[in-house]
Amino acid sequence: MTNHPPKAVDSVKIPPSKKFMGNKSRSIFAILIFLILLLFPLTQFIFGGMNYWLHLLLYAFMYIAMASSWNIIGGYTGYVSLGHNVFFTAGAYIAGLLWVYQGISPFIIAPFGGLIAFLIGLVFGLITLRTSGSAFIISSIALTSLAAILLDKWELAGGANGLSLNLIDLPLNTAKFPFYYAFLLLAALTVFVSYRIKHSKFGLGLRAISQDDVKAEVAGIPTNNYKILAFAISGLFIGIAGSLWVYYLTYLRPGLFLALGISANLVLMSLIGGKGTVVGPVIGAVIMIAINEFFVSQLGSSAMNIVAIGVLLILVLLFFPEGIIGTLKSNKKLPKILDWE
Amino acid sequence: MEQFLQILILGLSLGGVYALMSSGLTLIFGVMRIVNLAHASFIVVAAYISYWAFKLIGMDPILSVIITFPIMFLVGLLVYKLIFAKVIESSRFVEITVLLTFALSLIIEGLLNYFFTGIYRSTTPIYCTECLYFGNLYFPEGQFYATIVSVIILLGLFLFLRYTRLGNAIRATTQNRTAAKTVGVNVDRISMLTFGIGTGLAGASGSLVSFLFTFYPAKHMDWGTIILALIVLGGMGSLFGSLVGSFILSVIAAFVSYYFGPTWSPITFYSALFIILLIRPQGLFGKKMELSR
Amino acid sequence: MVILEADNIVAGYGKGPDILKGISLKVEAGKTYCIIGPNGAGKSTFLKVISGLLTPREGKITFKGEDITGLRADQILRKGLSLVPSDRSLFPDMTVKENLRMGGYVLGKQKDLINQRIIEMTEMFPILKERTSQLAKTLSGGQQQQLAIARAMIVNGDLIMLDEPTLGLDPKTRHQIFKSIEILKGNGMTVIIVEQNARLGLEAADRGVVLDLGRFSFEADAEKVLSDQRIQKLYLGAK
Repeated sequence: MTNHPPKAVDSVKIPPSKKFMGNKSRSIFAILIFLILLLFPLTQFIFGGMNYWLHLLLYAFMYIAMASSWNIIGGYTGYVSLGHNVFFTAGAYIAGLLWVYQGISPFIIAPFGGLIAFLIGLVFGLITLRTSGSAFIISSIALTSLAAILLDKWELAGGANGLSLNLIDLPLNTAKFPFYYAFLLLAALTVFVSYRIKHSKFGLGLRAISQDDVKAEVAGIPTNNYKILAFAISGLFIGIAGSLWVYYLTYLRPGLFLALGISANLVLMSLIGGKGTVVGPVIGAVIMIAINEFFVSQLGSSAMNIVAIGVLLILVLLFFPEGIIGTLKSNKKLPKILDWE
Repeated sequence: MEQFLQILILGLSLGGVYALMSSGLTLIFGVMRIVNLAHASFIVVAAYISYWAFKLIGMDPILSVIITFPIMFLVGLLVYKLIFAKVIESSRFVEITVLLTFALSLIIEGLLNYFFTGIYRSTTPIYCTECLYFGNLYFPEGQFYATIVSVIILLGLFLFLRYTRLGNAIRATTQNRTAAKTVGVNVDRISMLTFGIGTGLAGASGSLVSFLFTFYPAKHMDWGTIILALIVLGGMGSLFGSLVGSFILSVIAAFVSYYFGPTWSPITFYSALFIILLIRPQGLFGKKMELSR
Repeated sequence: MVILEADNIVAGYGKGPDILKGISLKVEAGKTYCIIGPNGAGKSTFLKVISGLLTPREGKITFKGEDITGLRADQILRKGLSLVPSDRSLFPDMTVKENLRMGGYVLGKQKDLINQRIIEMTEMFPILKERTSQLAKTLSGGQQQQLAIARAMIVNGDLIMLDEPTLGLDPKTRHQIFKSIEILKGNGMTVIIVEQNARLGLEAADRGVVLDLGRFSFEADAEKVLSDQRIQKLYLGAK
């Protein structure tokens, strides 16, 4: 590059191929993947016996949505929440109870489950996000414990034993289809929202907050409002996921939705993939689920599962804090099709 | 009136133990600004140590403090050296350390589950079911001894911090880390020692709770949330605050337990946490918290 | 005799740019140096590097003939080089006496020696004598500064550095502080001051050094620096 001032003509001449091609190739990549996933269930009719894969994929979609969601408050804003399983539980209970007692399909309730989670997020955020990150983390844990006790006592919901839900009324080889598409849609929606947030003024403000609360406030960013909004949004999609999952699982029990492992998974997935990136949680979710499946199939599910998550978390935090996408980006080796930042 | 006094006694008797449980957490936070989510896990580990000491060689759990404190002290040093020393200068220190301690708590819970399964356990020395009578009031004997031991240990901690060179260094580092460096305190070594001492205190309290409550690997969630609520209430970093908070909340919890049933008492602690955050976020004795993370 | 020598120091914070861009200075024992210069020039950074709070990226520091580059703050303190930071860095919830005692931390278990030094300091700074049991955070700005200086003197070192000792103090208190600095000089200590109030600082010093944009741009006897027309214009606000 030479040093003379650009002429007016030069400044207009952006090489079109370079800029456009970058965006185009990654959009094509995304659409391709989406189409493949959209058509995948048809293999059930061709090969049969694909229920295991359908399950694995929809499970992955759910976690892609949840991890991307968590990332909005945990990654973009830098406020680690260990209580997001409460949103999951809220969505599950709303949908589960309405299905059992009123017969309303969770597919219809799901958006409301998300809304309730959003409201919970607003209220909770209003109380706890005014203080430091430390107090916030503690509060998020307290929320989980509080929810656990309250749900244990709630007779309408069966207390600690929970309730059993009716199965969806479909033949075996298509029973998973609605869930598959619902979760795929949720995942796509969440990732899309995550992308839009990151590339908006809101997202920029969140990033400033994640660097330094006080400086962001001084720069004119309404930090409290932004934080609370980010937190509530991050809960919304998880609430929807909970509403769908309870229907899929057909069991409504506190232990299933408030498990510590779920919070741990959200954190770990975002971290492994790259906290604060759009694609990071997606990759993190896929990797974690693959690893989990591998270990469960080889060693069987056991208490060591949670040990493995813990060890992995420590290793990533100490040696790999930017995660896969973050590290690749820092080293400028991030392939264009994965660069949605 | 007597009923009131009785409930008061029951509340106060647990206050001492909770204070001991949270003292280590406060110490660690004060010096290093680490919210140690694994603190309660260490308490559970110590409870198991006391349990097996009791089961296998008949060691009285209160006596086992003599072995749990040093063991957990060493564990603390090791954990600090292996895990925290690396991230000490990181800019995202608070965030990273919280997640590290969280991961640690998962590992400990998993390992305990694997080796000891989820069976509910508790040590059962003779005094754990007996009561001491003072007129018409009774004091559960186990809690009585636990309170005395807790108070002794906390007194020892206070004297240590006030009157020894090392204790002063710890206090100094808590109050102003850079100033401590300026006067020649090796703040890294102090941090490590404090983490050890804090974990040792967790160990001691673990021995005591082993006969006061039933426990299992996941119990760290319950205890952990309680002590976290206590330090937020007292003002993070303030030992005196966590002491006062412990007693206040224990008494309130005792009344809640009496009128609404024992399963409601943990809710006292959690609600107190949210209430305090609403009306006085820095806790009773804390400083206005820096928003920096 | 040269007691401290900084040789081509390059330093910065974290992954940021170089603040000090190659500084060299020879400090003679028993003399008082005043470093002046605009904000952000690197004056505080320089003191932090010397005292061990910040490791330089390049360069060497020699104190009393010994290479102290990269040593920890406490190690350097033990050798007789102390720093009074610009925010005074007191322990707010400790009493005056406890703060002074912390000043003697590196003297280890020599309780009698430390106590003796504390008594000496309270004699030297009578304001502190009246307030030995008061918490440091309750002292006024000027009192805190005196406490900070007294604390730094407990180790009875050879070289003491003061970063902006009159920051935020009213004129009367400022003069009190400089009186305290006279006491330091009287004790034969080598003193390095960083002063925003260039005039006051240079009047109290033997040598003046100008630090600008990470380099020492001028060094001479203090009166020369004070009377230099260019310096007056640039740093002393003359027209």
